[in-house]
Amino acid sequence: MGAGVTSARDTRLEDLLAEVAKGDQEAFEAACHAVAGTLFGVVHAVVRDRSQAEEVCQEVLLEVWRCAPRFQRGRGSAMAWVTTIAHRRAVDRVRAEQRATDRHRRAAAHEVAFDAVAECVEERLDAERVRRCLGALTRLQRESLTLAYYGGHTFREVATLLGVPEGTAKTRMRDGLIRLRGCLGAGQ
Amino acid sequence: MNRRRSGPHSLAGAYVLDAIGGRDRRRFERHLARCIACSADVPELRETVARLAGAAAADPPPGLIERAVASVAHVRQLPPSTDPRRRWRIGPVIQQHSPSGRGSAPRLRPRAVGVLTAMFLVAAAALGAIVWHAEDQVAVAQQRGYQIAQVLNAPDAVMLSARVTAGGTATVVMSRRDHSLVFTTAGLRPLPSDRCYQLWLMGPAGDRSAGMLPAAHDGMTSPAIASDIRAGDHLGLTIEPEGGAPRPTSAPILIMTLD
Repeated sequence: MGAGVTSARDTRLEDLLAEVAKGDQEAFEAACHAVAGTLFGVVHAVVRDRSQAEEVCQEVLLEVWRCAPRFQRGRGSAMAWVTTIAHRRAVDRVRAEQRATDRHRRAAAHEVAFDAVAECVEERLDAERVRRCLGALTRLQRESLTLAYYGGHTFREVATLLGVPEGTAKTRMRDGLIRLRGCLGAGQ
Repeated sequence: MNRRRSGPHSLAGAYVLDAIGGRDRRRFERHLARCIACSADVPELRETVARLAGAAAADPPPGLIERAVASVAHVRQLPPSTDPRRRWRIGPVIQQHSPSGRGSAPRLRPRAVGVLTAMFLVAAAALGAIVWHAEDQVAVAQQRGYQIAQVLNAPDAVMLSARVTAGGTATVVMSRRDHSLVFTTAGLRPLPSDRCYQLWLMGPAGDRSAGMLPAAHDGMTSPAIASDIRAGDHLGLTIEPEGGAPRPTSAPILIMTLD
């Protein structure tokens, strides 16, 4: 998706957020319905534990409510805004816990993420497209992206897991995203 | 893309994936505040990352939404940001030069218009001497000169300027009344002969080409005109294959807000 190109789904969500910003609880409920599947999916992929994922999602939805007046149209899509908040929270939760227990969470991240695809047809088609485009990346790009995003790992951890220098891991993340963007844009 | 990938800039991907820890994250955010390349990259990469999120969508547990709705009834919302500087920025991309000193929406003073007009006309004249020599193109050149003068002399003309990621600066004079702008650059990196700089209006209506920049002379490109600017448009500059592309094929090296 190029800059400035917004899907109908995003426009609907942005309209809802504008109402949420004014304190409209019905609009908030509708916005929750629009984002809950994606939020829960991504948060669950990162934290793994269902009840913790639910807690994080509650926090994220509350944050969406609080911060809706700060969302600025034209500076990125509403879905990107919401998922950025969600992923950051999920990762913070995992890392805080990691510091406490130093648990081992190895790999297999992308399998988990794609096992749990939602009922919604539109989401399912989009997931299929993303999966296909991930498949078109180099193995290193794909694994760097999925370990980082769905696995919640830092680029230093990703480098260790993949046995490559840290510089390579972060460069592959950027390359991979750029290539993914190209593929997703072309397949629209 | 021929962008350098060393240094903090290469962290843009890891940053949008939340794959950097506390100290690296703060370091990158400090860098982001200054780095034009990153601040153009980051919002775009975030959109791609959002697709990764969407691909993981799963059915939410029952009651999640009901509980969220019930819990917000007594939660106060943050006030909207009223910082006027934010109106002019996508992240820290835009550096605005106000010819009248302070102020967030500079209106051009007559003297500034004079200086600018001179600057654009010098560039236009250089171009005219080189390109528009064929008889049948004179009328086009005159028409173009007229359009440029009209924008520069518009009562609501404002000037914006920004650094280009890959090197150089861009200057825009825009008239909202005429829905037009004049675009010129200085110090852009020379491109191989099979590449060109292409200007875009990027907005809710999609990305529209505003034409290729002509080759630079003495380090300056002669003025390009973009018209039919619509609400919500940004101005973007990309590097494309020779002859241009129907839509951008690489990340913009410059994005300027126009509203």
